[in-house]
Amino acid sequence: MTSYFVRRFLLILPTFIGVTILVFTLTRLVPGGPIERMLNEAALAGSEGGAVVSSGFDGRGGSVLSDEQIAQLERYYGFDKPVIISYFEWLGKIFTLDLGTSTRYTEPVWETIKSRLPISIFYGVATLILTYGVCIPLGIVKAIKHKTVFDNVSSALVFFGYAIPSYVVGIACLTLFAANLEWFPLAGFVSDDFDDLTTMGKALDILDHAVLPLIAYLAGSFAVTTLLMKNSLMDNLAADYVRTAIAKGMAFKRAVFAHACRNSLIPLATSFGNTITLVITGSFLIEKIFNIDGFGLLGFESLVERDYPVVMGILVISSLLFLVGNILSDICVAFVDPRVKFGSGGSNQ
Amino acid sequence: MPLLAIENLAVSFETDEGIVDVIDGVSIDLAEGETLGLVGESGCGKSVTALTVMGLLPKPAGRVVGGAIHFDGRDITSLTSEELSTIRGRDIAMIFQEPMTALNPVHRVGNQLAESYRLHHPEASKAEIREESLKLMDHVGIPAAEQRLDEYPHQLSGGMRQRVMIAMALSSKPRVLIADEPTTALDVTIQAQILELLRDLQNEYGMAIVFITHDLGVIAELASRVVVMYAGRVAEAAPVDALFASPKHPYAQGLLASIPRLDSEPKSLLPTIPGVVPRIEDLPDGCRFSNRCAHARDACWTDKPAIESVATDRTVACLRWRELEQQAAASA
Repeated sequence: MTSYFVRRFLLILPTFIGVTILVFTLTRLVPGGPIERMLNEAALAGSEGGAVVSSGFDGRGGSVLSDEQIAQLERYYGFDKPVIISYFEWLGKIFTLDLGTSTRYTEPVWETIKSRLPISIFYGVATLILTYGVCIPLGIVKAIKHKTVFDNVSSALVFFGYAIPSYVVGIACLTLFAANLEWFPLAGFVSDDFDDLTTMGKALDILDHAVLPLIAYLAGSFAVTTLLMKNSLMDNLAADYVRTAIAKGMAFKRAVFAHACRNSLIPLATSFGNTITLVITGSFLIEKIFNIDGFGLLGFESLVERDYPVVMGILVISSLLFLVGNILSDICVAFVDPRVKFGSGGSNQ
Repeated sequence: MPLLAIENLAVSFETDEGIVDVIDGVSIDLAEGETLGLVGESGCGKSVTALTVMGLLPKPAGRVVGGAIHFDGRDITSLTSEELSTIRGRDIAMIFQEPMTALNPVHRVGNQLAESYRLHHPEASKAEIREESLKLMDHVGIPAAEQRLDEYPHQLSGGMRQRVMIAMALSSKPRVLIADEPTTALDVTIQAQILELLRDLQNEYGMAIVFITHDLGVIAELASRVVVMYAGRVAEAAPVDALFASPKHPYAQGLLASIPRLDSEPKSLLPTIPGVVPRIEDLPDGCRFSNRCAHARDACWTDKPAIESVATDRTVACLRWRELEQQAAASA
């Protein structure tokens, strides 16, 4: 088993190189980039009020910068070398934990990402806890009360939430509760006067701002996990070993918790690791709507602005999280199911 | 008074096609310490009868619609599930057909065994439970019990798992042990070992055993009395020797005729009962065996046969059994 996980960890490296080499090459192939952006800015600055030739690519000939200056810029950004060489230069820096410099903010990429991380982790962890905290108990109750009014109504509700896109939920909540009723703030992660608040006030302020985005994040996230839990538990309730437990003299309710529940968590465990990584990356649509400076929005904006060092930096972090999350899922499964033996010679019955 | 008396039991199941009578007027007596064989083809209601006694009918589909089950003077069909929990596992224990699935795959063997002991000895300390578990494992012939207790069910062979099931069932020294095809899923050599074990344990503990099987060989070896069931009714009930010597019901005759015999001609065709058990939804109105019975007459299709006494401790439910017996005697 240990050797299996060691092997899995070693496999991260080639997978990581594969993912990054692909995206790195793509960033070279798509039009636009820091130089074009700079050219535009320079053109804007140079011809105040005058006609501006935008679209950097074609307008290069008549641009405000000389060819020599452009060549200098290309050297600066490493565009003068072939893709594969600059990729390995970039990769070498990654191994020294240097993610490069943002072309948009002209500050280290890590600083840019680091400032967004607490926000994303806050929403990620809150979503994770609320999702599992609601889905598992709800799934259990629904399995026991299968085909009752409670079961049907809650199914209708979770599917209703699942069917509406999260950004629609976000906009609807924002319009109703923030704009019309003014119960919650319109946007942002904290208020402007956040620094002047007491610790208690700060906590309340964050919560106040978090309610609506969390609703948008969560609305669609209950259906899959709840139904997975319910169906899995129902399968297990019909299993022979639950009958054995009752035949031993155990009360039904106790048999549910002592025998059926843990077995029902196995299918959930297979996706647990991935859930962690997915929530940390966040949703740029929801972040955009609520103007939250999180990971998702940063990724989206840096793509639009062709801020490739940041794009690559986010890719590094999210792909690593994803790869580690996969292994985490395997560990979870092995933890809840003693029959699972990874690697050679294990019999998975 | 018998220890366990099933009286005119009727059980129905709610299916998509309506309510079907799975058990129709079954009466079975079980005396203290005896071994009763319950035989019949798949789907004849043996297991449902056993599950009804245990109060383990699948809910909400299955329901007792008539009759009673008296255990020790109490009608257990009228008990609440809490009251039933004090009988289940303690006075009446059950082992199942599939030892592979009857144990929980994610709990250690020792925990599952300890659990059944603790349920009926709530005051026992951890050390006592461990000691008792080891004793039980040893009793049912599990070698290296100490180590086995810490293993998971998938690490045990089928025979060992069934031994664990038996150990769990015995942990409270029950008065009745219901064994629902406990050897069907096992190798033939292991079957013999398990049967041997059950017989030894019965001598030691003195419990009554209801042995459910479709294997008449097992019945001959183990049981003192047999109840032959067909399509939810009792066809014939008799002491085992009497049944094997002269079965009265055509179905029982058919079952016995289809056992290969040492004195039959080698490679000759084995007699079989034609047809299959009809679907429970379209059983014949009269005798439920009439559509497969070689001796059926018009009356068999319309009249439900009464349970008639043949001799002491022997009953048969066939309209024509006397007639058939006379015919057989005349031709012999």
